Amino acid sequence: MSSTFSGDETAPFFGFLGAAAALVFSCMGAAYGTAKSGVGVASMGVMRPELVMKSIVPVVMAGVLGIYGLIIAVIISTGINPKAKSYYLFDGYAHLSSGLACGLAGLSAGMAIGIVGDAGVRYGLLPVLSLFLLIWLVAMVDTVIGLLQVKCSLLLCCKEIHLHSNLKVIKIAGPLQQRLLSQFTKHLLEFNIFFSYCFRMNCVEPEPQ
Amino acid sequence: MSGSVAGDQATWSHALVNISPYTFSAIGIAVAIGVSVLGAAWGIYITGSSLIGAAIKAPRITSKNLISVIFCEAVAIYGVIVAIILQTKLESVPKSQIYAPESLRAGYAIFASGIIVGFANLVCGLCVGIIGSSCALSDAQNSSLFVKILVIEIFGSALGLFGVIVGIIMSAQASWPSKAG
Repeated sequence: MSSTFSGDETAPFFGFLGAAAALVFSCMGAAYGTAKSGVGVASMGVMRPELVMKSIVPVVMAGVLGIYGLIIAVIISTGINPKAKSYYLFDGYAHLSSGLACGLAGLSAGMAIGIVGDAGVRYGLLPVLSLFLLIWLVAMVDTVIGLLQVKCSLLLCCKEIHLHSNLKVIKIAGPLQQRLLSQFTKHLLEFNIFFSYCFRMNCVEPEPQ
Repeated sequence: MSGSVAGDQATWSHALVNISPYTFSAIGIAVAIGVSVLGAAWGIYITGSSLIGAAIKAPRITSKNLISVIFCEAVAIYGVIVAIILQTKLESVPKSQIYAPESLRAGYAIFASGIIVGFANLVCGLCVGIIGSSCALSDAQNSSLFVKILVIEIFGSALGLFGVIVGIIMSAQASWPSKAG
């Protein structure tokens, strides 16, 4: 091999693997959350069938994690286009780290949602703990972790590298991605506040003794 | 490994560049179908064993709860579809072009696409299987619960669809160099 070999031909390997990691690990988290909470809902539903439809919230939250992974995987894989913009090894590694950040955060968020959702729907019948405060906790966990997940991975996959003779200048992507990020953040926070307000209104009163 | 930079003879980049893209493509296609079917089978055995056990005391649940088995089977069908799509993306390139950057990229795209579909369907099949088993058991207790737990199962089966969507989007990136080039 000549000494000008730079390894840039293998950069798409890491880029595509980043997209794969984003989706696969997020789906693993979503599957764990869905399955574990679903089993809790079914067990609880045998005793209190009227509460089943209200207890589907952890399942929906876990499904949303899969959607985050899908978004990031599509953003990464459409960004690997050496014909449009040259794809250096740096870009490949950035996409790999972005995908891993998204995926592993989604995996841990999904496991948290599964365990909290399962315990919440089973033991939410206690008069001390309201069922819906526990579910609100799940929604909070999911929103916060999902926020970090998407934020980190968007930041990582938007870094660009410019080669000016011998200098490498790193520039974070332009105003469009930053606006997208701040709008997404704002919507997630609004959604979380709205959700928690709705659930507070629906708290189950304990049975009079 | 100490002191190796991109120009050395002994880096991972050199090893990757010398592996044929057809190797990666073939492994991707095999993983797409093999691991999807593994997920479907795992889900079916989890659901089926609970279903058959619960049906001893409540035989009315058998015909309705076969839908859980069908949801698991759908995951295997997604794997077959994507494997067929991926193998139509394989083209033969002239011998001089096999290690060109464009064909390396095509090989990596098919590999990653296969991994995505395979492992997303694996976890989807598992998820649907676990929920299907609890659906059968709660249906045996109280038949109004069947439709409600089925809603959860539909959320679970959406995960396999995510994998198929991303796999197909990524396989569109697998463009091999043309024969004239």
